[in-house]
Amino acid sequence: MHRSGSRPQLDLSKAAIQGNFEVKDPTILLPNQSDDISHLALDIGGSLIKLVYFSRHEDQSIDDKRKKTIKERLGISNGNRRSYPILGGRLHFVKFETTKISECLDFIHSKQLHRGGGGAYKFADLFKERLGVSLDKEDEMDCLVAGANFLLKAIRHEAFTHMEGQKEFVQIDTNDLFPYLLVNIGSGVSMIKVDGDGKFERVSGTNVGGGTYWGLGRLLTKCKSFDELLELSQRGDNGTIDMLVGDIYGGMDYSKIGLSASTIASSFGKTISDKKELADYRPEDISLSLLRMISYNIGQISYLNALRFGLKRIFFGGFFIRGHAYTMDTISFAVQFWSKGEAQAMFLRHEGFLGALGAFMSYEKHGLDDLMVHQLVERFPMGAPYTGGRIHGPPLGDLNEKASEARVCLLLLEMPLPLSNTVYIANYLN
Amino acid sequence: MPSMHRSGSRPQLDLSKAAIQGNFEVKNPTILLPNQSDDISHLALDIGGSLIKLVYFSRHEDQSIDDKRKKTIKERLGISNGNRRSYPILGGRLHFVKFETTKISECLDFIHSKQLHRGGIHATGGGAYKFADLFKERLGVSLDKEDEMDCLVAGANFLLKAIRHEAFTHMEGQKEFVQIDTNDLFPYLLVNIGSGVSMIKVDGDGKFERVSGTNVGGGTYWGLGRLLTKCKSFDELLELSQRGDNRDHRHIGLSASTIASSFGKTISDKKELADYRPEDISLSLLRMISYNIGQISYLNALRFGLKRIFFGGFFIRGHAYTMDTISFAVQFWSKGEAQAMFLRHEGFLGALGAFMSYEKHGLDDLMVHQLVERFPMGAPYTGGRIHGPPLGDLNEKISWMEKFVLKGTEITAPVPMAPSGTTGLGGFEVPLSKGSTLRSDASALNVGVLHLVPTLEVFPLLADPKMYEPNTIDLADRSELEYWFTVLSEHLPDLVDKAVASEGGTDDAKRRGDAFARAFSAHLARLMEEPAAYGKLGLANLLELREECLREFQFLDAYRSIKQRENEASLAVLPDLLVELDSMSKETRLLMLIEGVLAANIFDWGSRACVDLYHKGTIIEIYRMSRNKMQRPWRVDDFDAFKERMLGSGDNKPRPHKRALLFVDNSGADVVLGMLPLARELLRRGTEVVLVANSLPALNDITAMELPDIVAEAAKHCDILRRAAEAGGLLVDAMINTLDGSKENSPSVPLMVVENGCGSPCIDLRQVSSELAAAAKNADLIILEGMGRALHTNFNARFKCEALKLAMVKNQRLAEKLIKGNIYDCVCRYEPAR
Repeated sequence: MHRSGSRPQLDLSKAAIQGNFEVKDPTILLPNQSDDISHLALDIGGSLIKLVYFSRHEDQSIDDKRKKTIKERLGISNGNRRSYPILGGRLHFVKFETTKISECLDFIHSKQLHRGGGGAYKFADLFKERLGVSLDKEDEMDCLVAGANFLLKAIRHEAFTHMEGQKEFVQIDTNDLFPYLLVNIGSGVSMIKVDGDGKFERVSGTNVGGGTYWGLGRLLTKCKSFDELLELSQRGDNGTIDMLVGDIYGGMDYSKIGLSASTIASSFGKTISDKKELADYRPEDISLSLLRMISYNIGQISYLNALRFGLKRIFFGGFFIRGHAYTMDTISFAVQFWSKGEAQAMFLRHEGFLGALGAFMSYEKHGLDDLMVHQLVERFPMGAPYTGGRIHGPPLGDLNEKASEARVCLLLLEMPLPLSNTVYIANYLN
Repeated sequence: MPSMHRSGSRPQLDLSKAAIQGNFEVKNPTILLPNQSDDISHLALDIGGSLIKLVYFSRHEDQSIDDKRKKTIKERLGISNGNRRSYPILGGRLHFVKFETTKISECLDFIHSKQLHRGGIHATGGGAYKFADLFKERLGVSLDKEDEMDCLVAGANFLLKAIRHEAFTHMEGQKEFVQIDTNDLFPYLLVNIGSGVSMIKVDGDGKFERVSGTNVGGGTYWGLGRLLTKCKSFDELLELSQRGDNRDHRHIGLSASTIASSFGKTISDKKELADYRPEDISLSLLRMISYNIGQISYLNALRFGLKRIFFGGFFIRGHAYTMDTISFAVQFWSKGEAQAMFLRHEGFLGALGAFMSYEKHGLDDLMVHQLVERFPMGAPYTGGRIHGPPLGDLNEKISWMEKFVLKGTEITAPVPMAPSGTTGLGGFEVPLSKGSTLRSDASALNVGVLHLVPTLEVFPLLADPKMYEPNTIDLADRSELEYWFTVLSEHLPDLVDKAVASEGGTDDAKRRGDAFARAFSAHLARLMEEPAAYGKLGLANLLELREECLREFQFLDAYRSIKQRENEASLAVLPDLLVELDSMSKETRLLMLIEGVLAANIFDWGSRACVDLYHKGTIIEIYRMSRNKMQRPWRVDDFDAFKERMLGSGDNKPRPHKRALLFVDNSGADVVLGMLPLARELLRRGTEVVLVANSLPALNDITAMELPDIVAEAAKHCDILRRAAEAGGLLVDAMINTLDGSKENSPSVPLMVVENGCGSPCIDLRQVSSELAAAAKNADLIILEGMGRALHTNFNARFKCEALKLAMVKNQRLAEKLIKGNIYDCVCRYEPAR
């Protein structure tokens, strides 16, 4: 079983938990750990930096005689399909808050993830100064689409629907993937019609996105973090904030046009008539009302765009969603309501990493282009259960240092996200 | 001189117990007229979450109109009322009033005081359910509830069909009125932005579907805005947004064309809510919501292939930034292929629709040409709450004007006002001094009182009524507006002098004169500030506004004595002129007649240059001087073509015209020594002549009421005129002392007089009296005379029949602009039939 190589072999020397041991989500640093890094891609947003990097493992034990014999016998040859071999390795997904870019730089430096590159951006000087590396910029949309296409093709149950709290994973036929509408909800929202690999068009978008939720929510509730705001919403009742159809019609439905009494007629419409101040409203209710307003709006505009181009599938990604059930339900409801059930919203498990993954895909010769779904195995390392914990050291294989490049894809602002998992790439055939 | 019976069209309010509620010192006193009750036909309400909109109709039976001349004309032209419908449409006025929903009690008082509820109340909006018991309790009436969507659509359809320039586009601060072809109106997308937003696909009258909507609407703006800024009113919040930072992107995520994320900037900073400027927050909110609505609207229009998107509802309130943002969104997402349009009566769609739900209100098949929108004196004064109809009582009006002046506000002189913004209602609005009360922005549009005049028709001889534009001068051009603004301002003192003198120069007349001057100056100032405030503005509208304003202060005929004096002087020399003309050959006489018309057109009290001339000599002296200057070729000179048509050449003897319509201009020499002799010549050739004159006085223009007496007087000395006038029924009452007392054997073609339906120095041929329309049916020649009717308006008009446009240009700028000539140049434009 060579697959055991996929288990991380950490250099734990001088491993340290930053800060107080008592805190719940300690940051773990593995200062002496270094990996055999091939590529590093960054997605530096306004609030989050997403890293995707690939660590390669030259599996010396694989070419045993039995395998060689089998290969000859079956006529398998590595060089037929490409001039360079697919290397086994691991794809890591890591994120930092943008305000803590220094930690990110420390991380990159400690892992020697940086080498090569070009370009100049907001943080380019910082990267140059701290790491001596220049950044290449990749087109934001290119990255999003490449990331989404990769995920939808390569990860078997990447997409799922979410209705009334129920997740249902969707098996996508990769031969019948295109066209689809990709809705990336970051700070703002991009809607992209995807017709194939590298074939896409940004058809719409909206400025009412995650940044609006967090920005308005912060002003209205004094929450300290996006997650806190989202958490609040789960205990909210938007009926105290929103003007419902029932409020206008004295509790009755406006059934003639299919509006039930609980339909929101006007978001925040109730905060106009009361004598109340901001402090008199529950932050929980405000958060929920905001979340509903924004999610519903995104769902509606997405559906209208899908309809416009006759797209059957709408995939929602981006850090706004962060697996939040109510957000997904609201978006799903909006799509279902306006489409009268004919369209369905789908969500992506790697929602926040589309851009970084896409930037990673922009490397030539990374060997992942025609990666097949059966070639990927997903593992959840030890850090996974610690939701909210900040992990600053990836699962690593060996200590050999390889030349690395750093590329960056500047995206719209992105939200913080709970810890993501890691996708390992194994190559059975080598 | 016959008295002016049309004064009956002015509201006569019962002012007993009239009282201003509250302190007299307050800026917006509420006026209640407890004992007033109009002859109300119908009242309709739209009770929304924040505003109550009222539409009510006051009817006026115009009993005085059927004088004898009219009866005769009606018989002769075969006009009869009531052919088109089983019940007569009654003239009247449609009033638009609003209250805040929180002040529903005031609204109930208003309805009660005016007894508006006696004919029942049709109501729509959520409040029709919510407040049904309250209405029952306070007024003793049950509300007839109308479906909200039905009402919105009915209201929008009515407005788009009945109001000529109801819709306009708004891009980068520029309004442009759109002429909707009512035959090509459907389908369209109606977006009503109230607390929430409804998007309705409208396919026809009563045929529609609510296809979409959004819960992010006006209520969201106001609700979130109130939480974030502590503003006390929607208007205050809107006002704040105007001072928001639109350029600096750093604050809360605003950017010119692409806002990546609304409020996206408020996440990263360490700032608290209190650290942000409420102005920036308001603007960012407004942008977010307007943009979102524009985007979703466009996507829905696209989905159904709808070319037009009309936005209405009280969220917009004529707010320039809101409209620009919505327009930008629609343009941006459609890549310029779709366009957002807005409605002047934006907030009244529902109420109007509820009003339309009455059966037999007679408005169903109302045509655009039967409505005239008027802006009473209160229109320029903004911010006041409207609790009453246009005040009819003069004293009230004058005292408001005086009170306003006492407050020392800047509207006393015709200079551009400081930012103001009416919520756009046609009722009486209390003057408001600057500063302390917040207003919405100056671009907000006024909504006038709609006067329903069922007798108005489209002039049937227009070659292309759809393309017809009366105004030659478009005041959308800022320099033109400024020029005419100056001309009218400079002319104002002289006009006030004449007006005061016409009423005997009493103290009362002086007070009224001052009040008129202030009111008109305020109108001018308002229009300088927002040229689109009263809808599409042409010079003709401006000139008519002045006349209406005079009438509002009961100056029924400011030039009455001057007209009388000039008519008498001219009539005295007419016999000599006729003898002189009769001694000439046909060719010479025709030239002399046209010269005479052009020369006599110099008498125009609307022209400053001409007013100066009056001081230099008697009108006969001026006439002769003018006459001597008539050297051909004139600046525009089609006389030879006209002569060819009239007299032919060689053996070609053209057939005389069957009937000629002569649109006359000024009193005195202009009509007596210019147009009457020309009419006489046509009559002599066997052409029926219809003299077309104003229904109401405007400057020194002759009116249809005055003309029969003048013709009768002229006929005393001219057999041709006498027989024709008799044949035309003009001499029924007049004591005719014919020269020989004998009747001619050969019957004459008739000379008739019809009123044109206007009270303006110009004429909009889309709205003329039914008798003019009837008279036009057999006409094959139109003669338009004078600057107002042949140059300011109709210079470019094309007709189905032959047309002759005659005028002397008494304004240097117009001369340069229109004919590349100079002041006192003449226009003789002859256009064959189309």
